[in-house]
Amino acid sequence: MSIPGLTLIAESINDSVPSTHVLFEENNLQGIVELARFQAEKGAAYIDVNVGLRTPAFMAEVVQKIQQHISLPLSIDTPDPEMAAAALEVYDRARSGDPIPILNSISEARLEMFDLYQKHPFIPILLATEGKDEFGGIKMNKTAAETHATARSIVHIARQRVEGLSNDKIIIDPGIMPIGSDSTGNFRRLMNAMQLIHQDSDLAGVNMSVGLSNFTVMLPPQKADGSAVKGPLESAFLTMAMPLGLNTIVGSVKRKYALLPPDHPAMQCLTDVLNLEGMEIIMRVMSYIS
Amino acid sequence: MQEITERIATCVELGKISKTTPFPPHMKGQDGADEIAAEALKNGVHPDALLAGCMQGMERIGKQYSENLVFVPNLLMSAAAMNAVMKHLKPYLESGALKRKGTFIIGTVAGDLHDLGKNLVAMTIKGGGFEVIDLGVDCSTEKFLNAIAQHPDCSVGLSALLTTTLINMEKSVQAIKKAHPSVKVLIGGAPVTDNYCRQIGADFYSANPQGAVEFLNKNKNI
Repeated sequence: MSIPGLTLIAESINDSVPSTHVLFEENNLQGIVELARFQAEKGAAYIDVNVGLRTPAFMAEVVQKIQQHISLPLSIDTPDPEMAAAALEVYDRARSGDPIPILNSISEARLEMFDLYQKHPFIPILLATEGKDEFGGIKMNKTAAETHATARSIVHIARQRVEGLSNDKIIIDPGIMPIGSDSTGNFRRLMNAMQLIHQDSDLAGVNMSVGLSNFTVMLPPQKADGSAVKGPLESAFLTMAMPLGLNTIVGSVKRKYALLPPDHPAMQCLTDVLNLEGMEIIMRVMSYIS
Repeated sequence: MQEITERIATCVELGKISKTTPFPPHMKGQDGADEIAAEALKNGVHPDALLAGCMQGMERIGKQYSENLVFVPNLLMSAAAMNAVMKHLKPYLESGALKRKGTFIIGTVAGDLHDLGKNLVAMTIKGGGFEVIDLGVDCSTEKFLNAIAQHPDCSVGLSALLTTTLINMEKSVQAIKKAHPSVKVLIGGAPVTDNYCRQIGADFYSANPQGAVEFLNKNKNI
């Protein structure tokens, strides 16, 4: 983790990580604390906390336990307003030197999360991946323009709900999808959406974040020659996305993220993918990982 | 005929879609699933042989995927090669000259917009010789029930990626089992477990698509 200007929210305390799931199942909170400590020592700026489908009381207990031992600010990761409320209620700002926690995340389908702000301020991660359809239901945004429109819309809602909320206290998540199954050009949508958000004067100064490990999920860890697959592709993504305003990731402290030169094979792969369609994208990724 | 079946199976397994597709590199410039299927039918080969090739190829790649020997892009390439064959088989399937093993209805549960896992299962089951009716994402219980009513001998698959939508999976599974006790209900997705499957009364959970095909092969409602 050594890219200036990139904030890392460490991802490992998440119920969807099998080894962390076991710790939760065994109520091994000391193990959770050790995981938080490890991530803090490896350069995390925030520790993400996602306890899955457990109780708000358990979430509160985990937050308290981590804060007893670790002074980094936390990212409260839940779509459940009750669980978020429980975590924010016990969150000790003084313990982390006063920075407010991140709340990961709020979408247009769960705006009630903003009601928690007045009592317990947080930096919201606002999801631009899903917006409202014409019937008021939720829909996955499929184009850069739709993603940008949702980003504008949810930021405006946030300003209405939270007086004085400035852009630099907002994180937009434009949504990252696995490159290994990207037959619909989602990577291109994401890059174009970030550019639209970055160039929008109304959104000037907002932070942008993605869950970077999702980008390479379902790919092999190594090529046939033993060289790494995932790290270079994630670094290539960062190299292309940071000039478009990406400054935060939910990612792994174990990964050695770096900015890559344009002639790096991973950079060439992603550059090619931007200009390909359908199964040609999959074939290009296959050619990179083979 | 066996040779055609094997050639199709090889193309499907390796993801060789057509002569012009560059993947896999060692087959560059060779005929792919598209050309082999077209030529075979023109020469009077029974479409059964082609469908058998698709099934064998998808079974091979599905097993390799379940053993972590290949990854999602491989599966997608295989499915594309299979679809190149199925395009030629469509008239025979529509006329009834070619039979499938059964019907499988699949959808992502209400409130959940993720479709990758669902799509991987759908394409693998299609490759297993079943007709697949894909209801898409964010499927209400009513949507599942309406589709089942039109295909009462079907099996059903429900997918969920979010822990928050598991509750909707439970509601849909229980409504389906209540209305159609004999319909086999399969569930899958990142937060789903074998325990959860038993807890909500579904018939089968598989961590990989090939497991679902094997279950359906053993429990065909036909």
